[in-house]
Amino acid sequence: MIRTEGLSKRFGTKQAVDHLDLDIPEGEFFCFLGPNGAGKTTTIKMLTGLVRPTAGRAWIGTHDVVEEPVEAKRLLGYVPDHPFLYDKLTGREFMRFVAGLYRLPAARYAERVDELLATFELAHVADQLVESYSHGMRQKLSFASTFLHEPLALVVDEPWVGLDPKNIRAVKTYLRRAADSGLTILMSTHTLSIAEELADRIGILHHGRLRHVGTVDEIKRLARAAAVDGAAEGAEGGPSSSLEDVFLELTREADDEAAALATAPSTVVSA
Amino acid sequence: MGPLGALLWSRRRMSLHLLRSVRRESKLKVAFVSLSALGLWLGIFALARFGFGLFEDLGAELLAGGRMSLGDVVMARLLSLLAAVVFALLGVSNVLVAYATFFRSREMPYLVQSPIDARTLFVGRFVEVVSFSSWATAFLGTPVLLAYGLATGAPPVFYAAAVLFYLPFVVLPAALGSMVAITLVRLLGRLRHRAGWLVGSGVLLLALLLGWLRMRLALPDLSDPSALQALFQAVGRSQSPFLPSEWLARGILASATGDVREAVFQLGLLVANAALGLWLATELAGAWLLRAFSDLVASDEQRAPGRARGVLGRLETLLAPLPEPTRSLVAKDLRLFWRDASQWSQFLIFFGLLAVYLLGSGQAARSLGAAVGDQWRAWGTILNLTASLLILASLTTRFMFPLISLEGRRFWILGLAPLTRRQVLWQKFWLSVATCSLFTVGLAILSAIRLDLEPYALGLSVGGVVAATLALSALAVGLGALYPNFEEDNPSRIVSGLGGTLNFLLSMVYIVAITLALALALLWRDLPGDLGTQHLPWITLAAALWIAALTTVAVWLPMRLGLRHLEAAEI
Repeated sequence: MIRTEGLSKRFGTKQAVDHLDLDIPEGEFFCFLGPNGAGKTTTIKMLTGLVRPTAGRAWIGTHDVVEEPVEAKRLLGYVPDHPFLYDKLTGREFMRFVAGLYRLPAARYAERVDELLATFELAHVADQLVESYSHGMRQKLSFASTFLHEPLALVVDEPWVGLDPKNIRAVKTYLRRAADSGLTILMSTHTLSIAEELADRIGILHHGRLRHVGTVDEIKRLARAAAVDGAAEGAEGGPSSSLEDVFLELTREADDEAAALATAPSTVVSA
Repeated sequence: MGPLGALLWSRRRMSLHLLRSVRRESKLKVAFVSLSALGLWLGIFALARFGFGLFEDLGAELLAGGRMSLGDVVMARLLSLLAAVVFALLGVSNVLVAYATFFRSREMPYLVQSPIDARTLFVGRFVEVVSFSSWATAFLGTPVLLAYGLATGAPPVFYAAAVLFYLPFVVLPAALGSMVAITLVRLLGRLRHRAGWLVGSGVLLLALLLGWLRMRLALPDLSDPSALQALFQAVGRSQSPFLPSEWLARGILASATGDVREAVFQLGLLVANAALGLWLATELAGAWLLRAFSDLVASDEQRAPGRARGVLGRLETLLAPLPEPTRSLVAKDLRLFWRDASQWSQFLIFFGLLAVYLLGSGQAARSLGAAVGDQWRAWGTILNLTASLLILASLTTRFMFPLISLEGRRFWILGLAPLTRRQVLWQKFWLSVATCSLFTVGLAILSAIRLDLEPYALGLSVGGVVAATLALSALAVGLGALYPNFEEDNPSRIVSGLGGTLNFLLSMVYIVAITLALALALLWRDLPGDLGTQHLPWITLAAALWIAALTTVAVWLPMRLGLRHLEAAEI
């Protein structure tokens, strides 16, 4: 459902995303992990059409995001970390606006709007201007509007900022159920416990390259193997390691590789 | 409802909510702004009515076998010239408005990731460009056209024609401006040193404009008997049949004389060209809008130059003598300003226009000199001073008024820092005074050199500019703190609120008050006989005291009110 081939983006001299090959099948919950500046947001911007790739291709369903952007976006839902909402519209008016953008038939809109506003506990403020909403309420409205057109693929960029524990639980449950019903989800997050809890597969992106892909258990096994190799250097990653330990171990390993590559030419010269 | 319908519907709803929100504003402020706006409209109407009235009976039955008076011809040429100036101004402002609307508004990323094709997105946003850039044309144009209609006794069809001509007349420059903005971003978006390229292009354009103005609109020596013909020729150069402003002028004039056939032809010409412009702009947007947007987002991701390099690095070195935290606050404001191209490009245009005017004014004043005697220097000084102060008022309103609001959601950073809100407010004030003085005092001196002014007039005009810089800066910063809008990141929108309007109107009141005093002092000297020199010291002293008192009030009151509001605000 979400696929990339050799997807790359260069900003001046900086290679933000480097030949990313990704294939997320229908109904999979895929979590993107990576340190700050790893290229997660740039990848998401390319998938959502905000930035054009320097090289490579990306598809939502069967639609190339560059060649058929409108068709690709029609299948896609996107929840950014800081959602844009029109302050001078009410919550319900914003939902109606989104329905128009996605050409949702009036009858379908009428069916969905109250249900979604109730699901995300916004019914009581639906007729208030968005400018009076708290950050958490804005985030929930962003979720509600994203599900309005029943997307087949959902891209979520660090959605937990501003949500209280009760709402985090509600959103997690909703997303997991949606994935179980066939929605493909690509979520970028730094909240590793949530990734561990929800993800079918995890991808670790570092320095613009996809370093490791697999289920949580597969990733942990990889980290254990790396820990055994690097035991003499005091690496972590024992059998009961959390995803946090594993993440730190795998990204440290990638940093070491990058440092070795950077020093390699001078070694050759001195040799 | 499709995407275009949704875009337009949401815009209408937002406008309605915005109008309703006026009810929550202070009634005194709303009343003051409304009455001032009405006063401005009536003032323009009275001025235009008086001006057209002067020409009404001029050289009656002189031309065209008695069917047209000389006044008709002069009024027709004036209307053409006015339409050409408005069209040029709309063209420039539309480039900036289109850039902000298509590339810098906060909703664009949301709309770009929505399933809307680029053409629909363009048309939806284009409506906003047109309405945002052209409301002032309607506000300022209606009293002039009404005055013209009354002066010439135009039939009702004239007023209907004025309304019909308005839409295509504002759509065409908006389409051209949008095409320029999209093309520039597409071509320059990927360039390194984009800011440098833009500044270079701006300076080159201004130089070309100046050269063109000198060549095309050179005024003749009015003491020459053939001057009238030459003046007519100079003004008549705005009457090219290829200029859209001329189609508007001819069409409206034809409707005023009841020539419906000609009016319909000119309307058709304007509508056809506006439609063509819109179609071309839509096609260009279809090909380039999303690509240009992507280039701009990508270029924003690139790192800013390091601390020690570039213009900013050098500027920061100059700030070293300032004490902390003032130095850091000033450096931060300058960096934010420099890195927002839409901000400094407008700043450049403001001063570019002023420079073009002042450089051209010396020659114009000398041309008039022979006709009106030695008084030309005084009148030239007054005109230059008024133009400089009007630009300064636009500048402080546009750039200094939003300074406190732009701290917006980041105000907590300043709130937590070990400095008082008083320090923050006065830092903004001195920043405004320092940056504006660099340009205004420089231009006042340049203007004085162009007009060969002696020390007395030079002192008065520079003194007036310094006083106005202090007063207008305080008005903008103080009222900006009194009526902040912490929810908005776009400075243009912050200014377009009631607070910004109030600031501009009060700035106008101040400018009128001090210009009258300066004009009195400058013109008194040229009075005939002993009267001119006898009381000059007293008149000068009275003018200086009047300006000093006004300036003190204009600095003290808004800064005090703004500070009180800022200190009480829970941010």
